[in-house]
Amino acid sequence: MLEISDLSARVAGKEILTGVNLKVNAGEVHAIMGPNGSGKSTLAQVLAGREDYEVTRGSVTFEGRDLLSMRAEERARAGLFLGFQYPVEIPGVNNVYLLKAALNAKRKAAGEPEVDAYEFLALIRQKMKFMQMSEAFLSRGVNEGFSGGEKKRNEVLQMLVLEPKLAILDETDSGLDIDALKVVSTGVNSLRGPQRAVVLVTHYQRLLDYVIPDQVHVLSGGRIVKSGDKTLAQELERRGYDWVMESRVA
Amino acid sequence: MNAALRSFEAQWRARTPDALQPIREQAMQRFLKLGLPVQRDETWRYTDLRSLAAQSFATAACAFNGALADEPLSLVDAEQRASTVVLVNGCPPALASIPAIDGITINSIRELAKVDPSFVARFFEPASDDDQRRWVLLNTALFTDGLYLKISTAVSAPLVILHLSSGEADQAAHPRIIIDVLPGSSATIIEHHVTRGDAAPLSNSNTHISLGTDAQIEHYRVYAAGAGASQLDALDIHQCARSQCKQFTIGLGGSFIRSSLEAHLSQPGASLESYSLLVGHEDRHLDCVNIVTHAAPDTRSRQTARAIASDVSRVIFNSKVIVKAGAAHSDSQQSCRGLLLSPEAEIDTRPQLEIHADEVKCAHGATTGRLDPDMLFYLLSRGLDRETAQSLLVYAFLADVLSGMSVSSARSAIESALISQLPDSQLLRKFR
Repeated sequence: MLEISDLSARVAGKEILTGVNLKVNAGEVHAIMGPNGSGKSTLAQVLAGREDYEVTRGSVTFEGRDLLSMRAEERARAGLFLGFQYPVEIPGVNNVYLLKAALNAKRKAAGEPEVDAYEFLALIRQKMKFMQMSEAFLSRGVNEGFSGGEKKRNEVLQMLVLEPKLAILDETDSGLDIDALKVVSTGVNSLRGPQRAVVLVTHYQRLLDYVIPDQVHVLSGGRIVKSGDKTLAQELERRGYDWVMESRVA
Repeated sequence: MNAALRSFEAQWRARTPDALQPIREQAMQRFLKLGLPVQRDETWRYTDLRSLAAQSFATAACAFNGALADEPLSLVDAEQRASTVVLVNGCPPALASIPAIDGITINSIRELAKVDPSFVARFFEPASDDDQRRWVLLNTALFTDGLYLKISTAVSAPLVILHLSSGEADQAAHPRIIIDVLPGSSATIIEHHVTRGDAAPLSNSNTHISLGTDAQIEHYRVYAAGAGASQLDALDIHQCARSQCKQFTIGLGGSFIRSSLEAHLSQPGASLESYSLLVGHEDRHLDCVNIVTHAAPDTRSRQTARAIASDVSRVIFNSKVIVKAGAAHSDSQQSCRGLLLSPEAEIDTRPQLEIHADEVKCAHGATTGRLDPDMLFYLLSRGLDRETAQSLLVYAFLADVLSGMSVSSARSAIESALISQLPDSQLLRKFR
């Protein structure tokens, strides 16, 4: 589904990614872990199409298409979803308006008719209930005045409505209490399926107790330095990131 | 002495003295002594009046010969408003023609001054050297007539005052309005400034609002003059104890607009909310000055300004809060956000504070920039196309001010007029 080879990227003139290689197949859940500043969020943003992040080398294909030649909005419509680490507040843009516009953009690209208003509201209500969110959120501005946890739930809600083929969740677990973490994990697990893939970018192993990954990768210095199964996450939790760096030197 | 000053002096000499002569005399002498403001003057630093000063102006006539079609001029649906009073170049209609409205008494300022000059004089500020008041001096000296409105109960339907400017560009008019809201009374007043015809006289208007104890007003001034028109407008607000003023200043017409607001929170508990929506379009120059004085304890003011500039326009928003000695527990906020939609456009904002009291809460913030790239990326990453995402953010930018308007039909008419001056207006209409 996603194939990244030798991907390097610069942000504000600074080399952040230095040759990332990663292959994610349909049906898989991958976790990308790593210390702060290792390039995890940059990787997520580059994949979603942030323009001020400059790709200097390498290639990315998404379902056989050249992802890097697509604009952010085209990537979204093709089924790629980024759950932001820090979802931005957009006062004045209604939450439910955005959800509807996003869903319709995707449907239009797939040659499907726009969603019927009644059908749409029924869908939203069902997903909100699942995410244990109050319907009061619908009429508010996008993320406006939301707590950190509410913003993350809103990201997962958008993901559930849009049903992406590939979801990249950038530290969706950070800042969540244990109850919210369970709700968010249930949301992510509900999306798992043979046709879909999930990439979890996370600093801690905590989320991986609830969303069990097929593969775990450690990103350090802008490249993947170690890969393994779910036990790698547990080992990292026990021994810390220094252990990976040391073993790499050795 | 420049041509404009000479012509104003000639008009002054040509007029017949009336009951307000002493006030007018004082104002004119002060005006002639000080002259037109120049960019050295504090509140005029962004506006160059030299080409205006080089012109001569004659008095604009009171008559309007065209047809006053109601529909295209109307900001408020007929069934929602109490009435519309049309002033042509500042001259009120025959008072007999104004329908009676429960709770609002409407008089001609001149007629009222004949009967009780000292009463009318209470609504004229003392002659001042302050540069932001220069054109008000001229208005006081030369205004032909104007309206005095007395609000004596709670009036719910909005009253529309339509300022129609009609004539030639080498003429000037000085419309004057006094709104006297008696204690415990309330009203909604909408002043709508429009022009008819290709050319229009220079309009130099002044409105005085006096709010008694526990009085309330929602006041709009909407500048919607045609391209090429020049307008100077000053608003003075005086607030007694616990009075509440909600004021909207909407700039979306004309080529040159200078708009000022001076509010005096003179007694405890007085509260002001001022909203400015300033739209720079084509080569418009829109200069807005707010000066809010907290002169009593426990007074509150909120100023919210949103400026959008496209094409080669320039928008200026200067706001100042003055907290006088003794005005303890004053609470003020100034928030100004500017949005630049073209590389040639310019927005200047300057929030200022002058505090002479202890224990006050004064916050201010000003930001100007292009569309927020993080917001834009967020919307794009959800699949919205770029044009829609940009328009949505422009629309959202205006929402703060628009959502405060309680006259729904005015809000919707203003929204529609604003949108027509923004890029991608077709698209923007979808979000309404």
